[in-house]
Amino acid sequence: MAVNYDPALINKVFEITEPVEVKAEKIKRYCAALGETNPIYTDAEAAKKGPYGGIVAPPSFAVTFRNGRHFFENVPRFGLRGFDAGKDVEFVAPIRPGDQVTLSSHVKEIYEKTGRTGTMVFVVIRSTLKNQNDQVLAHIDHRFMNRP
Amino acid sequence: MNSFEQINIGDTLGPLELFVSKDQCRAYAKTMGMGEGAGRFTDDEAARKEGLPGMILPGNMSLGLLSKLVTDWIGSSNAWLTRMSTTYRVPVQPDRTITIHGFVTNKNPEDRTTEIDVWMENEESERLVTGTATVEFRK
Repeated sequence: MAVNYDPALINKVFEITEPVEVKAEKIKRYCAALGETNPIYTDAEAAKKGPYGGIVAPPSFAVTFRNGRHFFENVPRFGLRGFDAGKDVEFVAPIRPGDQVTLSSHVKEIYEKTGRTGTMVFVVIRSTLKNQNDQVLAHIDHRFMNRP
Repeated sequence: MNSFEQINIGDTLGPLELFVSKDQCRAYAKTMGMGEGAGRFTDDEAARKEGLPGMILPGNMSLGLLSKLVTDWIGSSNAWLTRMSTTYRVPVQPDRTITIHGFVTNKNPEDRTTEIDVWMENEESERLVTGTATVEFRK
């Protein structure tokens, strides 16, 4: 079956979120939840001597920023059951405590695949993370899978 | 600590054996501020209502654990994880032993990058999450 959607959605930036401040305490809790013990993420003294000259978040912290309401309102759905199929993340610059992070998102592509279990529709949303200096921190492609 | 020159195609990362408890899974969901709709990550009953076998780990948590395998391997080297790509194949259930593996598949001297396959297995050696990572070694 062919997927019907509004082609104007592709590449349309539908959201720039309110800035979220990165707190050292949240990085610490994130590390604890993952069993991460490297002091460059949590200990200011150790981090000062490290490669980034101060505390940074583990790279994967980039995926923890949440898109807002508009994100979910604009993600096309093609079936009743949809779930997170995967992510492609490009880590551009370290995220540091005090950064004010915003996300801008758009629909990157929509495609169909037919596999063993039937037809699946994939929607790829690209989010770009920036800090208060307009520096790009990461690009994240979220792949959502829907079964029509 | 690894230097770019010492790395060879075929080098392995890990394996890292982990037991992620239900409480750790809930702590992750709570730290991330996952609110309504996060029942599948915090509650067996809510997960079963969605047709899952019980609570599952958030995909982002699996991505975090796979990234940790790579950043542990980088250690204090002057290297940067530039890319991580994941595919969630089978739901990952807490309160079981999982093992995370990595394998260097390519090394490019021109831009001083290495490509690494990473994956998470259950006790039956079933691949639950697969992915690829790129690490850039800086001079």
